[in-house]
Amino acid sequence: MSERQSLLERIPWTLVLTLLAATVPFFASRYYIDLATYIAIFALFATSLNLLLGTTGLVPFGHAAYFGIGAYVCGLLMGELQVPFLLAFVLGGLGGALFAAIFGFFCVRLTKVYFSMLTLACAQIVWAICFKWNEVTGGEQGYPRVPMPDIPFLDWLPVHPRSLQMAKFYLVALALCAIGIYLLRRITLSPFGRILNSIRDNAERAQFIGIDVRRYQLYAFIIAGGFAGLAGGLFGVYKRGVFPDYAYWTKGAEVLIMSILGGINHFWGPTIGAAVLILLNGAVVSYTEYWPFVLGVILLVLLFAFPGGLLGGLETLWRRVKGRG
Amino acid sequence: MKVTRRVALALPVAVCALSGAAFAQGGPIKVGVPLPLSGPAALYGEPALKGAQMFVQELNAAGGVLGRKIELVVRDSKATPDEAVRVSREMILKENVDFLVGTLTSAEGPAVSTIAKENKIVLIAPIPKTDQLVAPKNLHPYIFRTASNTTIEGRTGAEIIAKWADVKRVATIAHDYAYGQDVTKEFIAHIKKLRPDIEVVDSQWPKLGEADYTPFINAQMSKKPDAIFSAMWGGHFVTWAKQAKPLGMFDAVKNRVVNGGEAGSVEATRAMGPEYPFGIIANAYDLPTYKGQPQSHKDYIARLKAFTKEDPPSSWPIMMYVAMQFLTEGIKKAGSTDSDKVSAALKGLTIDTPFGKQTIRAKDQQADRGEFYGVMEKGPDGIAFMKDAEYIDPKPFMD
Amino acid sequence: MHLAFVDPTLMLGQFRSGLTTAMFLFLIASGLSLIFGVLRIINFAHGSLYMLGAYIAWHIVHYLVGNSLVGFGIAVLLAASAVGLIGFFVERFLLRHVYKVAELYQLLFTYALVLIFGDVAKFIWGTQPVSVQRPALLSGYFDIAGVRMPHYDLMIVCIGFGIAYGFYVFLNRTSWGRIIRAAALDREMLGALGTNVSLLYTGMFVLAAFLAGLSGALVTPIKGVVPGMDIEIILDAFIVVVIGGLGSLWGTLLGSIIYGMVVSFGILIFPRFSIFAAFILMAAVLIIRPWGLLGRPIR
Repeated sequence: MSERQSLLERIPWTLVLTLLAATVPFFASRYYIDLATYIAIFALFATSLNLLLGTTGLVPFGHAAYFGIGAYVCGLLMGELQVPFLLAFVLGGLGGALFAAIFGFFCVRLTKVYFSMLTLACAQIVWAICFKWNEVTGGEQGYPRVPMPDIPFLDWLPVHPRSLQMAKFYLVALALCAIGIYLLRRITLSPFGRILNSIRDNAERAQFIGIDVRRYQLYAFIIAGGFAGLAGGLFGVYKRGVFPDYAYWTKGAEVLIMSILGGINHFWGPTIGAAVLILLNGAVVSYTEYWPFVLGVILLVLLFAFPGGLLGGLETLWRRVKGRG
Repeated sequence: MKVTRRVALALPVAVCALSGAAFAQGGPIKVGVPLPLSGPAALYGEPALKGAQMFVQELNAAGGVLGRKIELVVRDSKATPDEAVRVSREMILKENVDFLVGTLTSAEGPAVSTIAKENKIVLIAPIPKTDQLVAPKNLHPYIFRTASNTTIEGRTGAEIIAKWADVKRVATIAHDYAYGQDVTKEFIAHIKKLRPDIEVVDSQWPKLGEADYTPFINAQMSKKPDAIFSAMWGGHFVTWAKQAKPLGMFDAVKNRVVNGGEAGSVEATRAMGPEYPFGIIANAYDLPTYKGQPQSHKDYIARLKAFTKEDPPSSWPIMMYVAMQFLTEGIKKAGSTDSDKVSAALKGLTIDTPFGKQTIRAKDQQADRGEFYGVMEKGPDGIAFMKDAEYIDPKPFMD
Repeated sequence: MHLAFVDPTLMLGQFRSGLTTAMFLFLIASGLSLIFGVLRIINFAHGSLYMLGAYIAWHIVHYLVGNSLVGFGIAVLLAASAVGLIGFFVERFLLRHVYKVAELYQLLFTYALVLIFGDVAKFIWGTQPVSVQRPALLSGYFDIAGVRMPHYDLMIVCIGFGIAYGFYVFLNRTSWGRIIRAAALDREMLGALGTNVSLLYTGMFVLAAFLAGLSGALVTPIKGVVPGMDIEIILDAFIVVVIGGLGSLWGTLLGSIIYGMVVSFGILIFPRFSIFAAFILMAAVLIIRPWGLLGRPIR
């Protein structure tokens, strides 16, 4: 029994999940390749959020700000200045990290709900700037002309010719998200991540034993903002456009829900949550216009029956099964 | 039912996709309709959808087009470009729609236009007014617009105000976003050209979704304008007018207010009832009756009343109705549902709409669509209606 | 920037606008502040309760009583009571299981309520905006030094101050008020002393819900009732509560007034400022004085 558990932990999940996900273009329709791209990007976005939520114990409402900044930086550089995709993508992440540093400096000085509200104010300010700065950001209409990056390799993929473009972009996006998630995993499991955990568990005690709580929270904030920026850059390309909504606080609420749905105490919780929520959303909206109601009910059920999220619930179930076996 | 139909369609679609041809013999022509069906913009989105539904019902009863029926695939775009793109992609990739007819706001239009271009699906936008949609740098073969645009609207407002010889001070109020900014810019540029003696004394920029307009109203009144050009629309117009009337704004300018944004539509007059600021000039895309109304329009209104069971009927269904007319006439002329052929057929196409001939110009794929303007008077039932409505021909205002 | 000379009529008018905005926000923010102060819950669903109050009031006016002053008054009270009742059921059967869980899950819970209530309202009343006319007896105005003060707006201002004063008296001068203040400080001790804390909590939530429904109903003659009004208002309400300091009712009043005045006068100086106003204000307050103007650090 104990061997199986450590085996569970020893599996290189990032690699396994990525390889599994990479098979999608070979058997799925274009619609599902499209959906899989969406899931991959939001998996990265949600995992970046969880660095703050599950690992450090901070609840930011305004994580969308860095997502939006990354999207605009990457999209505008590609569209207006013809910057190559990978460079623009990295710069988007750096843009997110930069603003996370600026906003984070003020936010980490606050705690709990005040922290949350200040992050929200920051996101709304970013949104308002994107909404109004017509000359640069296209204002309320955004910038709907982000070009599809030229991917010179992968033309040999044995997929349906109509799906080739989408499949190529999907695999590139998947690879980039996988790398991002892998890096986040290493960070979470590193000594730095342990320090963040101790801050989450008891900030006072951490401060007492000499950890500069604020400084570490800021570092986490910056890293999370950077990866959110990377996810944003990919999202802008995926949507072929960047719009102020990307920075609106409700985008951050989406990933908060995904993380909680999947389970914030597990590294893969946000990824699972993203996949489940997006698939569920896609399935439900074809049948009813009352998706918010359905989501609300799901959240209530989640709250009362599976407070640890899906992975938390699975873990409890597993333990119970093990206990009987 | 849905599953088997989808399977039945998937096979011929797959075959055709491989062979390059883009029609499924015998199956319905699927038209994707992204429109806001929730939130404040649903005020226009829902009635617009009914126009499409009525057209499809009539057309299918008459045998459809090219022997095939039309099937509408409807999705809520929530009036945001983000969601509009998402549902449009879903309709193209999952539902395999052949065409897109929809989008309402000026942000949705250009966003979905990019998707249409990429997937080579013809998009006819029946309502977005932004000039950006068909501007030269954004124009491509698969985007067409059958609505009016901000240039026409701003300039028409200027023409009306310029006719009031005793007006020397003019103020504007519009939401601080693309539509409001563009229409105000066109208004100011044109009125300065027509009447160099007019001074624009004030411009107010409330944010979209402002709950309390009173600071803006008050600030504008303090500048003592003789006339006001307003771009308030939909639910926002209702809120603004409800707050402006008790403050005496309309009295102060003697009702010399020209309001774009279809504030003369049935939705606005019905929502406000007796609180409507009677005496202002507003516009609307459609009216139940007007001077010189052709028989075809009378018939259309009668059918619309029966279909929607509303009296007076809304002015928004006509937008989707005419857009669907253009689409099906384009398909007929092209003799196929191939996007490139339909696109070529639509350029320069003139059709008979219920209110007369309308043409999609070949040079910018924009229709010559004007609106009705007139003074909003109090009707016998206490609801405002447009008196002496005049259809203002947009051609003099189009570049 | 036109500060060449200060026009007193303009200033008075902007002051009046700011005050109206402020008191109208205070009506809804007061309930929010109360819930946080005593129950320690951040209630996102407060905007939904407000929206339900507006729709129910419209429904009663439109279908039952018409908008005479008496009719409107009845509709407002009925709507507020209905929302209070909804609050009762929410607290008794759902919310009370959530007091002990982590804050994050409380937020999730109230957010789920927002989604559910939003669609319920859409299902019942559709998506078209509706509005109520001002009752005839309240559609006039006072002329004060050249500035119009509509009767209805004055009524809202008076009700707002009335609620603030009423709370002051209730919390500070009555025994119930003392118990509530004690609950805000240390609920366990209070329970140990024999007070029926759970009944108290239910009562507080019902009161807050009543206030939310009341403010929604009262706002119907001033604005259109549309889907989406729940989310629009909750952000502004949170902002004034945070500015004033969570848990402090006077803080909420102060926050509302500051917000109203900043927006009202801000647009004179920066005409395109409106979209930023609320968030810059909140950010500024949170940076300079993290617990809000009159707040205390949260334990």
